[in-house]
Amino acid sequence: MRAILNAVKTGLTEIWAHKTRSVLSFLAIAAGSVVFIDAFSAIVDTYARLERQKEVSGIARMRISQNYSQTYSSPDDYVPPPAISYEDVEKLKEKVPGLYMVSPEGRDWRNVLEYGGERLTTSLTGVTPDWTKRDFIYTLKGRFLDWHDLENKLRVCVLIKEAPPPPGFDKTMKKKYNFTGGYDTLVTHNDMVGKTVKIDGYTFTVIGVLEEIPYSKRTRSFVNSYQDYKILAPVTTLIHYSFIGSYQSLDVNIDAGAEKDFEDYMKKVSNFLKIRFGDEEFFVVENQLEDIREKIASSVRSGLVTISLGMLAFLAGGIGIMNVTLATVFARTKEIGVRRAVGASRSDIMLQFIVEAVMLGLIGGVLGSALGYLWGVPIKVMVGMDASPIKAWMPMVSVLIAASTAFVFAIYPAWVAAGLKPADALRAE
Amino acid sequence: MSIACADLTKVYEGGQSGWPALRGVSFTIEMGEFAVVTGPSGCGKSTLLNIIGLLDEPTSGKYSLNGRNVFSMSDSERSDARRDEIGFVFQSFHLLNRMTALDNVCLPMMYAGVDSREMRDRAADLLHKVGLKGKERKTPLELSGGERQRVSIARALANSPKLILADEPTGNLDSVSSGEIVDTLFKLNGEGITVVMVTHDRELSKRVARNIRMRDGRLEQ
Repeated sequence: MRAILNAVKTGLTEIWAHKTRSVLSFLAIAAGSVVFIDAFSAIVDTYARLERQKEVSGIARMRISQNYSQTYSSPDDYVPPPAISYEDVEKLKEKVPGLYMVSPEGRDWRNVLEYGGERLTTSLTGVTPDWTKRDFIYTLKGRFLDWHDLENKLRVCVLIKEAPPPPGFDKTMKKKYNFTGGYDTLVTHNDMVGKTVKIDGYTFTVIGVLEEIPYSKRTRSFVNSYQDYKILAPVTTLIHYSFIGSYQSLDVNIDAGAEKDFEDYMKKVSNFLKIRFGDEEFFVVENQLEDIREKIASSVRSGLVTISLGMLAFLAGGIGIMNVTLATVFARTKEIGVRRAVGASRSDIMLQFIVEAVMLGLIGGVLGSALGYLWGVPIKVMVGMDASPIKAWMPMVSVLIAASTAFVFAIYPAWVAAGLKPADALRAE
Repeated sequence: MSIACADLTKVYEGGQSGWPALRGVSFTIEMGEFAVVTGPSGCGKSTLLNIIGLLDEPTSGKYSLNGRNVFSMSDSERSDARRDEIGFVFQSFHLLNRMTALDNVCLPMMYAGVDSREMRDRAADLLHKVGLKGKERKTPLELSGGERQRVSIARALANSPKLILADEPTGNLDSVSSGEIVDTLFKLNGEGITVVMVTHDRELSKRVARNIRMRDGRLEQ
């Protein structure tokens, strides 16, 4: 213990005596720390985001839609393709039990909404209560559609209030996407729950309003949603009142629940379609799990790339320390001789150089952690990036790694120093 | 403290067959003696002193220090022996210039694990004893040659050794300083410390009973 304290004292003297050299070593290690902390927070962020995405999107996802790429050799061969009706969806649930979500969607376009003397263009989507099971990025006021509404084909609806567009979405884009359009203004400025509206002449009761969570607070979905939901109503109601025609096929979003059952369910769903509609590929079952897996894999890959950059930075820092320590050993050969002459053992000499290097590593690590924090939070925010989620353990681990790197890379130079013969070392100039 | 050497040889590596610095040296030095080793440059005086001081190993021969066979000692045992039993005084002082005189004197005690307060007190006493009171905080570069050599004598005495090895301690000093250093060594010998000193000073050899004269790696009879 005393030997270490003495080595620390000598080390401090040496580090102070060679300020330039020491500062360069600190910087090498500090750079490693900065990259490491950045990489680590990026990885932690990625994993946390993946977990949240898995929760929100589910991963065992598939989607049935009409196969638009069917080709016909001549126009005479064309027969109108079959459509998936609500009964088909019910049958699917019956024949393939156990699916976590079976959410059919049917859409009508360019509907006219009348409320308080205003007439606004909007669009209706027919859904079931299963719609809320995945990609639910809303807060609900009032209530959502329930199975009672579906069974009784009630004219009830839920209005969707979109979140303001993300930053970077400029005003012309807002106009283009009609964010300031009449419908949005209506849901923003009126408490619509419980009100009665007219859609294409039919009265509907607004039972709930779904408010989109702002972009910055929302977990992104794995599944690209092309839908722009405005008004949701029971799909059965929309079919009953012919908002959705009998020729119009419902799209079905499915979540098999668990990843392990997915392939099995894919087959079952395809078989069901085959039995019901024949061998011709009128429908496609889109395997969204593949996509999701690819997205997860690429996130993990980019995480590994960053972490290996951090490791490389430490390696560079470590080699810097090794270089400095070796140079120190050669510059202080005579001193080593003197110390050996007055009784220092090989291990004393070894300890001295290792302690010095570890101190360089520690100071560099602390400096780097401070810089890493500065870069990760205030600087990134200043230049308009998202702050890195730096956890308390990251700088600690980084300092630890910096010190261990220094330790590992100091072993060889220290061994060289300890191996010098006292008489030879004393003769050095 | 007795030193017994028998047929010591030392061949430095280099050239085809190496360069022989010692070609069979045998002698004994008894406890409490003041021995002076003289001879022309390159005759192997310093090599001999390094071997006696366990700073270097002979190529062949026997050497026992206080009855212990040096060949059978491990490196750390040699380090301990240098630390506790031997004090060195070198021609070019070999002080650590970044440290104060006091810290230089503390160094051997530091490796001996002496308590830091005790260490500093003893170092101050030793500097006082060699006549450097008030210069404890000076670094070697702020001291004269004679003062530096007195610091190194104080350092040599730090762990109360029984043997002091001095390799041309006056070689870099003016005659006044040289006289003082030699007087100090005689005084220490008077206190019972065995002194082995390498020197060019012919006059000095007349003052001591034990003379070891060397030429070409051998003792002159």
